[in-house]
Amino acid sequence: MTLFSVRNVRKTYRVGTVETHALRGVNLEVSRGEFTAIAGPSGSGKSTLLHLMGVLDRPSDGAVVLAGERIDRLPRAAAARLRLARLGFVFQAYNLIPVMTALENAAFVLELQGVPRREREARAREALGLLGMDGLEGRMPNQLSGGQQQRVAVARAIASGPDIVLADEPTANLDSATGQALIDLMRRLNEEQGVTFVFSTHDPRLLSHVRRTVRLEDGRVVDDEHADAGQGDA
Amino acid sequence: MTTLAWRNLGRHTRRSVVTAGAVGIVVYLSLLYFGLGGAAVNSLYQRLTDTSGHVQVRQEGWRDATRFDATLLKDTEALRETVSGASAQHMERPVVVGVLNAPALLSGAERSRGVSLTGQDWPEVMVDRRLEGGTLSGEFLSGRGGIVLGAGLAEALDVAIGDDVWAYAPGGSGFGAGVFTLVGTVDLPDQATELATAWVGLDDLQEMVAPDAVQRLEIHGVNLTRLDKDVVSDALAAELQGTLENLQVATWRVLNPSTVRLLSTIDPMLFAVSVLFFVLAGLLVLNTVYLSVMERIHEFGVIHALGAGDRKVLGMVALESMFLAGLGTAVGSAAGLATVAGLSDGFRIPSLESYYASFGLTPVWYPSLEPHQVAFAVGFAFLTAILAALWPAWVASRLEPIEAMRFHV
Repeated sequence: MTLFSVRNVRKTYRVGTVETHALRGVNLEVSRGEFTAIAGPSGSGKSTLLHLMGVLDRPSDGAVVLAGERIDRLPRAAAARLRLARLGFVFQAYNLIPVMTALENAAFVLELQGVPRREREARAREALGLLGMDGLEGRMPNQLSGGQQQRVAVARAIASGPDIVLADEPTANLDSATGQALIDLMRRLNEEQGVTFVFSTHDPRLLSHVRRTVRLEDGRVVDDEHADAGQGDA
Repeated sequence: MTTLAWRNLGRHTRRSVVTAGAVGIVVYLSLLYFGLGGAAVNSLYQRLTDTSGHVQVRQEGWRDATRFDATLLKDTEALRETVSGASAQHMERPVVVGVLNAPALLSGAERSRGVSLTGQDWPEVMVDRRLEGGTLSGEFLSGRGGIVLGAGLAEALDVAIGDDVWAYAPGGSGFGAGVFTLVGTVDLPDQATELATAWVGLDDLQEMVAPDAVQRLEIHGVNLTRLDKDVVSDALAAELQGTLENLQVATWRVLNPSTVRLLSTIDPMLFAVSVLFFVLAGLLVLNTVYLSVMERIHEFGVIHALGAGDRKVLGMVALESMFLAGLGTAVGSAAGLATVAGLSDGFRIPSLESYYASFGLTPVWYPSLEPHQVAFAVGFAFLTAILAALWPAWVASRLEPIEAMRFHV
């Protein structure tokens, strides 16, 4: 069942008289339960695509549809509400709040949603447990390694039970082994908990564990490969 | 977000302490200022009531009377009893004093001067109050035939303690003249008062100008030294007026309208100066909160990206400012209230007493605070915090997530 639809989306940035075409008519459909990587070199439009899907930016043209509802033209407040209620985010730079513990960071989205303290702590604890962070809930971010911080960030993204988790280069600041381990964890969450993941990466070594790889070049989809099918659509 | 707002204060502890400290100092100074303003008001109040009494009983129409005897209260024994009885119902230590004033020509051996001669039957406690801030040379009146003059007046008459002073006061129903012995002189801070001070015993002056009569009965609440505690004068005056229909009963407020108007301007002036203090503190709070926001633009971008609405972010920044103000206010209020409470039993600064006296103030000051002044200081501290946070909070709330997340200090 299609969860996300990106229809002929274009994004053009204008700085003075200079135009940069970040996306040039991208079409993409993501179904519930998918574990999809968006791959491509730097400047291919991966982050831009994720920002549009995450309602963090608006396309210059085209449409973004979530569960049948068009979301690319939402007003600011409505976009924020949508992100809070239905989307999870993992950023390249972890972006944990430095004055909050791992547990509090993991529970942060739940707190924004107004979930009562006991319940949000329980759900955050559970999410951290799924990511192998048992016993580290009370640590501050500066007491955690990069890999551990990113796992807390993933826990934050999944604790609220979003429709989809959008991860923008989640392993870029990690060494390859740690990055691989993170992808494996996310994969396990996808398989065991049914969490839908779409993440971007420019590291081809991480693509062996994903079920679907969408390749971008110069703002266009050049390949869309399902690992099960073995062949993809350009 | 409350926890986050609180913990954000600890990111730059020194800056938070300085800012909260500034708010605390302003709150402390405001309360101290109000307290000392209250002390000045109480001092003026005490001076006024020492001079005029808290309540006065006079002959009806005394202000417009053209004849001296039309101002007199005669055969006052029963009246005194009535007044004393009523006073005791309202005041803790009422003192009822009879006072007679008569214009007279005082003369020494070679010089003379026109004065308003005062005949009174002050008890010791009232004498002490009258002499507060001044210096008595010789002794006060005890028994008949004595006179106490202001030191300046004695000098003007060229008389010394032990000399005779002649008094000539025609027009009344008494002898119209008398000779007194100068038993004491009073050195007062206020020169004008000193030159006008001429006290004799009530009996002596009655014999000279108005046998068995006084011009007024003054009721003094000896323990009433603070304006905010004076809730009895009006009630006593109302009761006495109801009983003494043919006489005029007036409170110190009615007798001193211009000073009462002056007293009523003190509070607004204190508030105005206090507002200025708070504006200055508010600028410091604004600076701190704005810096704090600028340093966390990236983080605010993340918070927006995760789905926090603009109002939530605005509320968080405002809450941080309120915490800063709250900390400072708590400490400043505690210190301010403690200081005023500690001084409220009275304090004096000997080196400034003559300066106070030149303004008609007592040498001992009794600071006091009204509830609305404390509420103002606390409330305005928080209002300042909110106003100071408005702009940085609005900036933080309107950040675009993507652009903000690209920002690094």
